[in-house]
Amino acid sequence: MSRLTDWLAPRTVVKAHCDLPCGIYDPEQARIEAESCYKIIEKMGANSDPAFTTRAILIKEERAELTKHHLDVLWHDYFKPEHLDKVPNLHEMFWNATKQASKVKASTDIADAKKLLDMIDEIDEAWIATGGAEKTRVAKQPA
Amino acid sequence: MARTRGGPWRVKVAEASMLPAIAPGDWLLVDPTVARWPRRGSVVVFREPDTDELAIKRIAAGPGEEVRFREGLLRLADDEAWLTADADVETAAAAGFGAPRDSTRYGPVPLELLVGRAWFRYGPLRRFGRLMSG
Repeated sequence: MSRLTDWLAPRTVVKAHCDLPCGIYDPEQARIEAESCYKIIEKMGANSDPAFTTRAILIKEERAELTKHHLDVLWHDYFKPEHLDKVPNLHEMFWNATKQASKVKASTDIADAKKLLDMIDEIDEAWIATGGAEKTRVAKQPA
Repeated sequence: MARTRGGPWRVKVAEASMLPAIAPGDWLLVDPTVARWPRRGSVVVFREPDTDELAIKRIAAGPGEEVRFREGLLRLADDEAWLTADADVETAAAAGFGAPRDSTRYGPVPLELLVGRAWFRYGPLRRFGRLMSG
């Protein structure tokens, strides 16, 4: 019987895919990447070395993409339909912020990077208003 | 366009996004000869666009149909389907998993990523039988 079971057992696994259940979400993750973009643009303004500029552009594009990724994870996984009661403009907020992250990816204007930081701060307020700080972070050890 | 597909015939399910219809550990038969997206409600095996892993989901909308997405309407292209999980966040969490991943995450799935239609469960024996269309 066990040989029959072995013979019948599938060799291929298909995933009814879910996220890992870590449940840790914080807009700070997106903000740190967006701050990198801000600082890189600032440094580009103070350094005209072509090699530096090339590296800076590459890193800025990578960080802007990471910003977008972290915003998407927050939007899709942390925020739930019931949060729309407290944050009615939630979708618009994320739509604009992820669009702005794309803009920063291509831009060297520091005002674009500053605007992205402001948008992430607005999302941070929504995260706090919906109890994100208490629900999705592990408390630090008291000093 | 008729195409020959070399997908697996027998597969084992991992993870919980298709509960309650399909559970982790289920053994399924897959028809890899399908040349176009099966009808809405069918369960399909495909390559997940963002990970390239073999995955299983249900067809919520087929080519040319419209789906609601982020408070708007999205019209699918002639070779695309919208694939969704059966389980909601709470069901997946109760089984010890995070949020289900489906087209709401990775968007429409093109036909070239379709591997086959899952149509029959042959294990465990107590749940032996044809998979129901959703």
